[in-house]
Amino acid sequence: MSTQLQINGRRLRVDAAAETPLLWVLRDELGMTGTKYGCGVGLCGACTVHVGNDPARACITPVGALDRQQVRTIEGLGQDRIGRALQAAWIANDVPQCGYCQCGQLMSAAVLLRTTPVPSDKDITETMAGNICRCGTYDRIRAAIHEAARALSV
Amino acid sequence: MSKPDAPASQSWPQAGHRLSRRQFALAAGGAVLTVAIPLGAQTQSPPSPPGSAPAAPARPPVDRAPGSFIRIGADGTVTFLLPTCEMGQGIHTAQAMILAEELGADWTRVRTAMPDQVTPDYRLPMGQQRSVGSFGVRFWHDPLRRAAAQTRELLTLAAAGRLSVPPGSLAAEDGHIVHAATGRRVPFGDLVQAASTLPVPQNPVLRPAEQRKLTGKTMRRLDTPDKVTGRALYAVDMKAPGMLHGAVRLSPVFRAEVESMDPASVQGMPGVVAVVAVPGGAVVVARGWWQAKQAADKLVIRFKATPNDRIGTPELEQRMRAALDSGVLPAALQRGDMDAAFRAPHQVVEADYAVPLLAHACMEPINCMAQARPDRLDLWTGTQAQDILLRDCGAAGGYRPEQVYFHNAYLGGGFGRKTHAEAAIQAMLASRAVGGRPVKVLWSRADDMQQGQYRQTMMCRMRAALDADGRIQGLRVRVAGPQMGRDNGIPLTNGVADGMSLTGITDMQYQIPNMLVDHAVVPMPMALSPWRSIANSFTGFFVEAFINECAAAAGKDPLEFRRQHLQGRPRMLAVLDRAAQSAGWGSPAPQGVARGIAVVESYGSTVAQVVEARLRDGHVKVEKVHVAIDCGRAINPGQVAAQMSGGVVDAMSVALRAKITVKDGRAEQSSFGDYQILRMGEEPEVVTHIVEIGSPLGGVGEPCVPPLAPALAAAASALSGRQVRRLPLADSGLA
Repeated sequence: MSTQLQINGRRLRVDAAAETPLLWVLRDELGMTGTKYGCGVGLCGACTVHVGNDPARACITPVGALDRQQVRTIEGLGQDRIGRALQAAWIANDVPQCGYCQCGQLMSAAVLLRTTPVPSDKDITETMAGNICRCGTYDRIRAAIHEAARALSV
Repeated sequence: MSKPDAPASQSWPQAGHRLSRRQFALAAGGAVLTVAIPLGAQTQSPPSPPGSAPAAPARPPVDRAPGSFIRIGADGTVTFLLPTCEMGQGIHTAQAMILAEELGADWTRVRTAMPDQVTPDYRLPMGQQRSVGSFGVRFWHDPLRRAAAQTRELLTLAAAGRLSVPPGSLAAEDGHIVHAATGRRVPFGDLVQAASTLPVPQNPVLRPAEQRKLTGKTMRRLDTPDKVTGRALYAVDMKAPGMLHGAVRLSPVFRAEVESMDPASVQGMPGVVAVVAVPGGAVVVARGWWQAKQAADKLVIRFKATPNDRIGTPELEQRMRAALDSGVLPAALQRGDMDAAFRAPHQVVEADYAVPLLAHACMEPINCMAQARPDRLDLWTGTQAQDILLRDCGAAGGYRPEQVYFHNAYLGGGFGRKTHAEAAIQAMLASRAVGGRPVKVLWSRADDMQQGQYRQTMMCRMRAALDADGRIQGLRVRVAGPQMGRDNGIPLTNGVADGMSLTGITDMQYQIPNMLVDHAVVPMPMALSPWRSIANSFTGFFVEAFINECAAAAGKDPLEFRRQHLQGRPRMLAVLDRAAQSAGWGSPAPQGVARGIAVVESYGSTVAQVVEARLRDGHVKVEKVHVAIDCGRAINPGQVAAQMSGGVVDAMSVALRAKITVKDGRAEQSSFGDYQILRMGEEPEVVTHIVEIGSPLGGVGEPCVPPLAPALAAAASALSGRQVRRLPLADSGLA
């Protein structure tokens, strides 16, 4: 089945069974490997993307449900101010260790800053608790989100 | 040779350009200029098991061709070929700092890569290329530095010839050879051709400490920019022309073999190309992984019965408890006169401890892409153990080591799990079955969590005789459980002691005159694997939790009690005192807060931690952890701190909740819902102090783990009024 997708502003047509999770369309059909497979059941957040303005776990989002929807992935995060501020803060704080979860972390953080420009620690915890980091970089993720929020508010 | 369009921090040599260790290679443009160099006799240290004490600093230098680690292009680009994989520990940045500083390279232009073949130059003294034992800095510092100094001297000699000045008047800095007297500067790239014709200096002079520009300063990681844009490539992201995808269907019961399978049961499913028998199951090959996975789940396959089909955690624990009670066993360590020590003790302290099986749960599940051609095997992987893949793929596929090419990408976590060859063998067999097309095998999260290679479960019985001054005069230690080291091919020390099960006990730093250690072996049905800090992950808990109990029994402060037993151990005392000072040890803790302390020496470093925790709704909440580490000299202090705080989180996950339990011969947990990793909001504040007192270089990635559990257990015991002797704390209702 053919689905029309808009990914990072680009219109793409993919041929995949409607129930195929977006994750595998991105990775195996489109070669966009920044979105990671971590658990396949929406528990770890490594595959977080944006559908419209909302976060979505690509591993449990059937591609057939996305016809004509706007999808943003880590490859397109730097297209807006919030994304660039987060990436800069992640670099300044040297957040990643193995880095495998960080694309998902950044995508979740971008949704947070879009809805809550100056998040509290509690806001950060609530939004980011769905993204596991096995290296335990949570302290620097938190610091980088605060820093990005500050940079965006000036 | 790196591809010009490859991301700066992750490029690897094109397969095919293999340079023997007897050649020194400098790359100029597209060509590789090489010159044979005379090398002295190869001096290899004898093998030692991972987890053993660091090699003696006085070992003779091992001849390693500088070209194995350093490539300089005519454009001045410096590429470092690094022996250790990057799995989050920041080692590529640290090793590049060591090389760049000694070489005088321009830090802003260095690239890192990994070699595509295993040669002796990349092997640890154990005789294997592996990323284990926190050896990345403590072993590689000297060989890398020597290679960089040799290369610097070659470039200097070439510049001296070109400028007609004595070499002693030249210096290497920022990618140039500089003649200070006249201000002339020659870029490295311009000297490559001339340098490659010169003999490699065998006694290079190392830079003095005052010339250090990089090491000892916090440098940002080279891999961070690519890791925030999705450009960083992990093994799971590898692509090759004609690539197919494989999903596995493996026996849920540990070590069960295939009885029968019916490939026709999935033939005709979308995208399915082949069903390939592999040890313990099958790989379904398809055009995409999702298609492969759908078919693998539907594949009709039956497994043979095993003696373990009914076994579960209660039986395994029962066997270990019974083993603790066994009679006389051969001693793994015997010191002094135990009978005398226990003849008339002032006090006897006794306690049993237990830890469960643990999964590694790397964020990037196990995977490997292979292209198996008749005379050549390419592995796109993220391995911690190239030599184990060479051995096991060689045995299963008939390849000689020189026929195997590695494209080692970033690892999405390793923790010791990525030292095994299962996925490489599966991908190799699958590639063969589809005519040599590349096949990328990826395990699902459930496969990753249920296919064994766990940190071993262990029990321990401690019995101490204390004298009237509260000193431990005799210590009896019996561990019960499997022999992880032996299972992984590590010979038993003295024919009895399994180093990977007893490290941290047999070499404990406490000065105890009389001691007896033995190991009641309880075989386990599942495969076992190194897990970050290996035996120290549990022996640290056994020893330090018991030391805390002994201190309490003696009516002494646990810090003071440790000091008493650590005289003559300056590295232990230095970190203990620093962590204690940081926490204000001795002053009253804030209302509702309990503190716990522990100190462990492992992988050549000492780490002390003070945990501050309180009870919230009956559960232990860790608020702050004070860490002090003596790793000799911190090469990249910011990354040492990152390992300390990350290691605390890792250790907290398994001290609080995570464990693997067994039912009917299989693991009960399958994902992050039932194997609970710490999440945002649970992370404590971690304060790290790096203590530098002139000690030899030590490891960093692993030594941060062992002290956390016993320090946390002490705080939890104080908070709950119940002695915590079993991990995770959730078993006691405290998490």
